[in-house]
Amino acid sequence: MNTETTTTIALAEVRNVSKWFGPVMALNGVSLDIGSGITGLVGPNGAGKTTLLRLLTGQIKPSLGEIDVCGHDAWSAKAKDHIGLCPFGDATWDELSGRQLMRVTAGLRGFTRAEARKRAEAVLETVGMDDRANRPVRTYSKGMRQRIKLGQALIHDPDLLVLDEPLNGVDPVGCEELNDLFRSLAAQGKAVLVSSHILHEMDQLADRILFICQGKLLASGSLAEIRDMLDDHPLKVRISCGSPRRIAPQLLTLESVKSVSIEPPSELLLEVQNPGRFYAEFGEFAAGNDAQVHRLKATDTSTEAVFDYLMERALHPE
Amino acid sequence: METANKTSTVAACAQVFRLALRRQFFSRQTIVTAVLLGLTLGITALWAYPMPWNPDPRTSAQLASRILSPLYMGFLLPIICLSYASSAISGERSEQTLVYLLTTNIPRPLVYLAMYAAVLLLTLAVTLGGLAVLCLVPGKIGLEALGVFWTVTTCATVAYVGLFLLFSAGVRRATFLSLAYALMIETLTVNIPGVVNRITVSFYAKSWLYETGKPLDLAPTGAALGLFNPVSAASAQWVLVLASVGFLALGMWLFSRKEYD
Repeated sequence: MNTETTTTIALAEVRNVSKWFGPVMALNGVSLDIGSGITGLVGPNGAGKTTLLRLLTGQIKPSLGEIDVCGHDAWSAKAKDHIGLCPFGDATWDELSGRQLMRVTAGLRGFTRAEARKRAEAVLETVGMDDRANRPVRTYSKGMRQRIKLGQALIHDPDLLVLDEPLNGVDPVGCEELNDLFRSLAAQGKAVLVSSHILHEMDQLADRILFICQGKLLASGSLAEIRDMLDDHPLKVRISCGSPRRIAPQLLTLESVKSVSIEPPSELLLEVQNPGRFYAEFGEFAAGNDAQVHRLKATDTSTEAVFDYLMERALHPE
Repeated sequence: METANKTSTVAACAQVFRLALRRQFFSRQTIVTAVLLGLTLGITALWAYPMPWNPDPRTSAQLASRILSPLYMGFLLPIICLSYASSAISGERSEQTLVYLLTTNIPRPLVYLAMYAAVLLLTLAVTLGGLAVLCLVPGKIGLEALGVFWTVTTCATVAYVGLFLLFSAGVRRATFLSLAYALMIETLTVNIPGVVNRITVSFYAKSWLYETGKPLDLAPTGAALGLFNPVSAASAQWVLVLASVGFLALGMWLFSRKEYD
């Protein structure tokens, strides 16, 4: 399923990519584009997320298919000019201080010493580590390590930022700061690919979501777009109205409504079959029945709910 | 942040070189090497000091045949080389830091070349420095031996570093493989009569030493020499040089193609 409607230029293109390790197929015929903005990569353990990230960053080659980053094969050194990676593991050169690590990372990108120093200071400030940068990395907490790794990914100002669970271990305030940073990078036209197993993070953060499971791309697009595609997915809708007991039986006459439960004092919880049709039917119903609706809200449009449904559909097609 | 990327591949390779040099120098390998060299120095100092039961002054030939050839060339040199070279890439891999080198914009063969240069420089400094100290401990007699041994040590170090770095690029636990190779192949196979010993680096190092070290009486005599069947010094030099180049080229090729987990 692909609900792509964005018109941004793809910075990374994945074309019919399959990857297997011995007898294990980690990715199976995946095609997708990653453009500017924040893209969330969501899937359970073993879904193929890390394999996709490793393919995109040129650590491994696809068994079949092609991956281009900014017009270059992802395996090539030229493609890596455009990629910044924040890997999942905590490991880095722990014996160095945060400042030394940034300078070394800039040096590895080929910057002169003066330029490396300048970039190191700028990035340390960007990730909020400038005041702790003289400490050895081995003394850093998990959250500080995430920030310093993010700094390593940002040091050469890449077009495509690949972040594997970047908020793992970061405190809530830090999460919000980093999310703001991701948004500002996206606003600069960069592509930010964020892998996360904390699905609700994606609700607020990602412009687009890639759902991946068992090596296959189940869906891609904005949450709303994906949600709209799932016509047969039961949706829960909460209605706050003046006289819930009066309109509850009447709502059951609508074809799209599967069940209604009353939640005192003034709310109804509906399970609807086809969201698009329901909203049309409910509009007519409310206008004609003096329903006194104060508020209507779909309760399970979260990434997690959509993902659960997609997983269910992938594992049990019928 | 400025977006224009003014970068230089040479500068990036130089950074890989500096990083690898620093990480290898400040490592357990340096401690192990220092301990082994210290022990060898102690043995050499004890041997060089005239004892009541052996009051005769020591000679260059004795130093070469009793200390330098068996202990240094036969054991210490390959161990020093393997401790640095075999851990260079596999160490980064097991510490999960190799990913940062693989995702830079430096072509992979150049990453390998820069690491090779760093490891080689450090290993040469240790092996040649160690040899010099070993030769100087007994006094003047060591100078003649040093003149014979330093060229062979240099070439053997280059060959060993190439081989063990190749192992490091190929397998995760390269130190175990290298140790097994050093003990089983370089130490045991080199003494097997016939041509099978010609697969070892130490065979060519010994052949070279036997010819250039004639004043030190290093070569075995009679049947022993026939069984060892050395090649000429010129042939040994060629083989060591070609092997070194071959190991380096193979390592660069392997590193540029391998998918590391």
